[in-house]
Amino acid sequence: MNTTLVRSPLFAGRRWPNLVPPLRWLALKSCALLLPAALLLLWHTAVVRQWVSAQILPPPSLVLETLLTLWHSGDLWFELSISLQRVLIGAAMGSVLGLLLGLSMGLSRRVEAYLLPLFQAISQVPVLGWIPLLMMLVGIDETLKYLVIAHAVLVPLTINTFSGIRAIPPSYLEVAQVYRFNLAQRLRRVILPAALPSLFTGLRFALTKGWIALVTVELLASSEGLGYLMVDGRQMFQLDQVIVAMLMVGLVGLVLDKGLALLETRLQRWQRQAF
Amino acid sequence: MRSDFLSLRQVDKRFPVEDGELHVLDDISLNIRQGEFISIVGGSGCGKSTLLRLLVGLEQASGGSLQLDGAPIEGTDPERGIVFQDHRLYPWLTVEDNVLLALLNSPLSKAERLQRVHEHLRLVGLEAFARAWPAQLSGGMSQRVAIARGLVNRPKILLLDEPFGALDALTRAQLQEELARIWLAEGITTVLVTHDVDEAVFLGDRVVVMQPRPGKIGRIVEVDLPHPRHRDHPRLHELRSDILRDFARH
Repeated sequence: MNTTLVRSPLFAGRRWPNLVPPLRWLALKSCALLLPAALLLLWHTAVVRQWVSAQILPPPSLVLETLLTLWHSGDLWFELSISLQRVLIGAAMGSVLGLLLGLSMGLSRRVEAYLLPLFQAISQVPVLGWIPLLMMLVGIDETLKYLVIAHAVLVPLTINTFSGIRAIPPSYLEVAQVYRFNLAQRLRRVILPAALPSLFTGLRFALTKGWIALVTVELLASSEGLGYLMVDGRQMFQLDQVIVAMLMVGLVGLVLDKGLALLETRLQRWQRQAF
Repeated sequence: MRSDFLSLRQVDKRFPVEDGELHVLDDISLNIRQGEFISIVGGSGCGKSTLLRLLVGLEQASGGSLQLDGAPIEGTDPERGIVFQDHRLYPWLTVEDNVLLALLNSPLSKAERLQRVHEHLRLVGLEAFARAWPAQLSGGMSQRVAIARGLVNRPKILLLDEPFGALDALTRAQLQEELARIWLAEGITTVLVTHDVDEAVFLGDRVVVMQPRPGKIGRIVEVDLPHPRHRDHPRLHELRSDILRDFARH
């Protein structure tokens, strides 16, 4: 978000006007690191000066050490791969369903009339609220995780697909009518490309939601995964392990989101070249 | 050449509104010769755009009949090309692909289609921009691409709905000349809807002057000048003043 703001013509060239462009870019990018660095310093100082006991807040050096140990032993990668696998399967299920649901409600007023009110009611219940019921229905195995993630992904994707289709200018569809496109041609040539930006927004948001839901469900009911790593660390009173897991969760979430953003720019060359 | 190539008989159009119905077009009868250029001019609310939408097939008449080359007009058809006021190019397709899309359901082979597209881009002077994105084009250039798209199916008739209404005066004048040239070169029957009386008399063989509420034909003015025309011909000025007097009365 903030990068597009800075790149927009309104803001271009306002900051560090006396720096050459590559340096200005570097200056802009390193801004993002200032606050984390300050926090790290504060954290370090708090432990060294014993403002907080090291049992409660382990020093950054210990966290780094634990991170390396867990990585080299393969434990971290094992938990991470379990979590990633769950999120990919769950998100794939939720995406397919959300896309179909959004498309059908977007294309047909009748389907919308039948499904949208129920869908809106269901989406009001937070993901967490579904877990107790789902546990009774499907147990606490993998199915539970897939369902919870799929649900988290389904809601934002459906809504964005639906509203993206409804926002297509009628004039675009009239052109399709003039050249007598059939439904498949309309979908492929007009509706999907026109709704793509909104679809991607939905997908990125959905994946973030899905990742958060995964960690939540792993905290509650799992014996593997990054969420479990946190629970395990807390129970053993190893807060360094908890923090390592937190760092990994944040990092993976960021990579997933940036990866989709990259794919989005590649797929929408026409938007980039417009400026 | 047939004098009733495009024929409208007692065409009537009403739209249902909350309290009853809106009478938009009343008793429109008009015969258009093959190869003729007809301008339809009128103020806002005279139903001229609705009339064009009936000809495209995007709306259905409430009464009367519309026929092109002896066959009734029902729904849209590639034999009737259309250029809208907003160019309506798809921003996610290049210029070339936008025009190519108009041939999606044509029986031509892929090579023939591409050839046809380039032929028409050349006709509007934009062959060099085949790979450009619509967002990279000016308003005038976009409208030329729209004209190329409107003609690429080799329609029997070209319909233009205030095609230059959103352009600046200089570009508008330039595109009017361009349209006159294309029309002479292609010899295609053309119906132009506009609110610009200058444009109507400069381009039209006949100018249909419409009156509002409900929209009906006020009169039809013959523009007795050969093409290509000079914009500052005194006869055009006379006709223009004459037509403008019609609007002053209302």
